Amino acid sequence: MKHRIRTKFAIRTIPDIMKGSKGISSLTRTSEIYQYILAIIIIGITTLLCSPLSNPQSYHIVSFILLFVVAIMAVFMGIGPVLLAATLSSVAWNYFFIPPYHTFHIAKTEDKFMFGSFFIIALLNGVLTNRIRRQEIIVRERENQTNALFQLTGELSKASGIDKVSDVAKNDFKKHFNGDLFFILQDGNNRLETSEHIRDNNKFQSVDFNIVEQVFSNSVKAGKFTDSFSDAELTYYPLTGTRLNPGVVVMNLEKSVYQGKDAFWNTYFMQISNAIEREFLGELALKARVLYESDKLYKTLFNLISHEFRIPIATVMGASDTLLMSQTSEKHREELLDEIFKASARLNHLIENLLNMSRLESGKISVRLDWCDINDLINKVLQNLNKELEQLQLVTEIQPEMPLIKLDFGLMEQVLHNLLLNACQYSPASSKVCLDASYANGTLILRVTDSGPGFPEKALSKVFNKFFRVDESKPGGLGLGLSIVKGLVESHAGTVSVENPADGGARFTVTIPSEIPDMKKLNLE
Amino acid sequence: MNDNGNILIIDDEVQIRRLLEISLSANDYSTFFASNGKEGLIAAATYHPSLIILDLGLPDMDGMELLIRLREWYTRPVIVLSVRNSEEDIINALEKGANDYLTKPFRSGELIARIRAAIRLSEEKKDSPLLEFGSLKIDMINHVVRKNEEIIKLTSTEFSLLALLAKNHGRVLTHQFILKEIWGHGYLEQTQYLRVFIAQLRKKIEDNPSNPVLLITESGIGYRFGN
Repeated sequence: MKHRIRTKFAIRTIPDIMKGSKGISSLTRTSEIYQYILAIIIIGITTLLCSPLSNPQSYHIVSFILLFVVAIMAVFMGIGPVLLAATLSSVAWNYFFIPPYHTFHIAKTEDKFMFGSFFIIALLNGVLTNRIRRQEIIVRERENQTNALFQLTGELSKASGIDKVSDVAKNDFKKHFNGDLFFILQDGNNRLETSEHIRDNNKFQSVDFNIVEQVFSNSVKAGKFTDSFSDAELTYYPLTGTRLNPGVVVMNLEKSVYQGKDAFWNTYFMQISNAIEREFLGELALKARVLYESDKLYKTLFNLISHEFRIPIATVMGASDTLLMSQTSEKHREELLDEIFKASARLNHLIENLLNMSRLESGKISVRLDWCDINDLINKVLQNLNKELEQLQLVTEIQPEMPLIKLDFGLMEQVLHNLLLNACQYSPASSKVCLDASYANGTLILRVTDSGPGFPEKALSKVFNKFFRVDESKPGGLGLGLSIVKGLVESHAGTVSVENPADGGARFTVTIPSEIPDMKKLNLE
Repeated sequence: MNDNGNILIIDDEVQIRRLLEISLSANDYSTFFASNGKEGLIAAATYHPSLIILDLGLPDMDGMELLIRLREWYTRPVIVLSVRNSEEDIINALEKGANDYLTKPFRSGELIARIRAAIRLSEEKKDSPLLEFGSLKIDMINHVVRKNEEIIKLTSTEFSLLALLAKNHGRVLTHQFILKEIWGHGYLEQTQYLRVFIAQLRKKIEDNPSNPVLLITESGIGYRFGN
């Protein structure tokens, strides 16, 4: 069965050609041997059907019928079977219809001419029709190639990311040439990545990594249908680029689809190579930037930690040392102890923020969504920030009949805590800070508005960046609070934004998409 | 001196042990220590302490495993004191039988308060017919709740919820535990019930429902009845 499937492509290159007429396609798809047999059978049957016409008055008609049948056969059969059909039909006409019957002898001279011209016409008919068909196949094949290239370039330009690009190429290849591609790419250091899993695809079981390596290092195609390793089962094409060679593509294809079209395949794979190289360079640039950023981050972190951590540690050490060494009054003792407590709380806060940031970055924060009473959430936050909020005028507005919202209580508590703490730090004493909560269109909206100086216009876009602080000279924090807010809100699929409202201050708006429970279904007795 | 009870501290950090020794003995508790799980088990069996303070990160076994083994026979309170501060860890410890959970760093005052609450709760008669919290009186027999001597009307579910929390005052009850006790196993995911009833109860029994002091929310874990 497998063999048959292969040979059908050996005869008809492009399956697309047969689209439209199922009958013809099933005939033409049979193998060459089947076509010969079919030619014999068709001529035999036609001869048999024409047997009533086997009389001196109508045998000429039979010649037209046979010529017609041969012409039809030429449309969908190879040249060999058509020639056989032409020969057979003339022999059959002679043997069965031209008097004297059942001999190859022809009595009349005009019949001899007639037979000769029949034979020549049948041959020419078959050959010409077949040639037209071949021309058509070539034209269609070219059209298919052009289409393939056209679609490929179109889709490649839209695809972003190496995976996407290789998928586009694979799909295009499958669609137009009914073959499979497998990409083996390099790792950025001119070494091919190991790709043992290529064998998971049963079409690539016979992949030879030696050939892959050679193709990659020499940038010359190899394998089946090529000059080197031509006994291999697969074809290996180098992906070459202007700045680097992205890798090698392995393909399985039928001979007739591949052979003799080097120019086309060069262009085809050039397009793929270019797209992959483009993505490759993009990723390399991104990696380099990430590396640069993380280096910068490391330095910032280092500076901050050495600064931010040392101050509270110095306080603890100095204060406890004073307590141990000298005679201090009760009042001073208490003040020093208070300083120690504050300093250690500050250290703890720094560590919490750093840990939270790293948890967020490593994706280790798990969001456990659960129904939450927003009143409860806000009360909890306000209770915890009791001391800090004392010196401010806090106005809380929660929409009446606020529904239960699905969110992670602990994480959202941190979000509000950090936003309010930020407002506390930047608001002058006894100024107004507003916290309001509402629910509309499936979204919870939390807003914190302070009456501080607001953010400088230039800083607005950087507020949520890690380690960003408006005034770096001032002590107080690592600049992580707001980036943690952003991370936590985004882990709820929400958004957070900042603006300077017209009437002064700064306003943070958090939106969290959430369903609400169907309270009618609750049994509240 | 030292008559408030004896406390076993299972923790391998010397500094924490020193600190606990000072702050506990200042509050009239006698202390003794174990620096790993094995010693902890032996000490618990030998002294039968009034309360155990347990660290989860022990050198020889996981504190959670030790907690489970202790709970096979030890019925007095266990307070977990750990640096692990994720909600999962806390809920897990509470469900495995810890009476309370404090994360390091902790405030000594807070710890002492939790210890007092836990010991008192374990010594109290479980079925005391009348519970009093300031101006709030709960008559467990007749299902009557009074605030400032005025009767507060509660639905039967509201009363069961209040009674459950009040009986365990000072102790954190996890969402799952409360749902199971009040509504049954089929309702373990139906936290919306709990939220609605807690909000209703607060309106009825708290002086200031937006600053609750009786029905205290433990973020992401459960509720605690304060006193």
